[in-house]
Amino acid sequence: MDSIVIKIRDFTKAPGPRYIKEEVRDANNSGERFRDSSLYPTLLKVITESKKLIIDLDGTEGYGTSFLEESFGGLIREKGMDYKIIKDTIELISKEEPYLIDDINKYLSDADGKSKG
Amino acid sequence: MKKLYTEHKFKRYNKRRALKSLRRRLVFTYKHTARNKSFLGKSWADIRVEKEVEQGGYEKVTAPKNFTFIGNTEKVIRFISRLREHFDKKRKVFVVLNGVKSISYDSIIVLLSIMVRFKSHNIKFNGDFPRDETANKILTESGFFENLFKNFREKDTYNLNKEDGNSIHTHAAKAVDSILSAKVIGQATKTVWNEKRRCQGIQRTMIELMLNTNNHATIDKEGERHWWLSANHIKEENRVCFSFVDYGVGIFKSLNNKPSNSKFYKAMEKLKSLVGLSNNAGLLESILKGKLHETVTGFYFRGKGLPGIYEALGRNSFSNLYIISNNVFADVVNGNYVDLNNNFEGTFIYWELNQTNISCNG
Repeated sequence: MDSIVIKIRDFTKAPGPRYIKEEVRDANNSGERFRDSSLYPTLLKVITESKKLIIDLDGTEGYGTSFLEESFGGLIREKGMDYKIIKDTIELISKEEPYLIDDINKYLSDADGKSKG
Repeated sequence: MKKLYTEHKFKRYNKRRALKSLRRRLVFTYKHTARNKSFLGKSWADIRVEKEVEQGGYEKVTAPKNFTFIGNTEKVIRFISRLREHFDKKRKVFVVLNGVKSISYDSIIVLLSIMVRFKSHNIKFNGDFPRDETANKILTESGFFENLFKNFREKDTYNLNKEDGNSIHTHAAKAVDSILSAKVIGQATKTVWNEKRRCQGIQRTMIELMLNTNNHATIDKEGERHWWLSANHIKEENRVCFSFVDYGVGIFKSLNNKPSNSKFYKAMEKLKSLVGLSNNAGLLESILKGKLHETVTGFYFRGKGLPGIYEALGRNSFSNLYIISNNVFADVVNGNYVDLNNNFEGTFIYWELNQTNISCNG
């Protein structure tokens, strides 16, 4: 299956806070901004084209939990996406911080659990 | 003799004038003697303080002999509270440091941040030097005195750096500045490993702390208070000590006082009833270990910050984590969580980076 790769370090080397309103001026590095400007549109495109989305988490300065939760959990909570479709489409790579993959999976399952009440 | 001087009216006037003058001189002599007597047996340093305080109209605040925030938390909190009290009432202060026998960098950053707050609000802040040579040397080398004579204006960010030798690099801001924290870490890794590396665990810690200050340091408004981040580079030991402080309401008061329309409303009550705890020390331990975050916020996706820091410590991203907030002191590495008698209005976090901690090249 063909795939598209998103490297978060190409979006920002220093991922920042959860919301755009919390960003330092001109930093453009919040989880909300990443989700809305990069992750969500690419994910939609990938699903339409029946491809795989590989997300490379390495090479950044480090993540706050809020950035990751808003980016990934926010796909379900804010964008109303389906948990199973996300899980089937996304492949996470993190050689530097392998625990991030578990964290993100938990954020997704938490968001799914809450969205179903 | 002029006729004027022999007149009764003039003699009466002159006598009254002489009496008044005598009275003034006697009062002056009495006060002067009393003041000089009060100086008897005191050192020149003490006398200087007395004179400065008296002449400048300062409020005198004496620093504890053991001026280390982690080692002598109760007394340092009392000292900070007194300074805060004067700051709130816009009174100029004279900080008496001459009796300080030992001082640590965590206290210096606290003192530095307090000084900038005073100066940026145009409230005079003065003080003297520790008589103890070691304490004096640490304080001088920290670059504290270089900032003592600067003028500060109230603004959103401050950078107080001293680039040479062992020194404190201090930054203050209100926003969540992950680019700045990455820069601070980059400098720290050069001291620790002699090359630039990335430390994602420390980056996470700094982001979470900045977010907490931004979101929770005031009860009803976000982004109101400064956080202060300081890195003390100890080059000969390849070690960097980080201190983070904010003068918000603190973790527990923040949870206690959220307005009724807030997602954090009655969070403390919920927490305490849930875990059957009556003290804040136990509560902090439970929050750090991630047992309570969802309950605290009422929002499953919030409140992951403190557990995130604890996890980073568990992965050996840094060493020696200490937390002081409100009436709790926590030596997290040794599992020592203590309720204090004094309340620190704010949150203080200390940790260290050394060669045994994990990092990423490139």
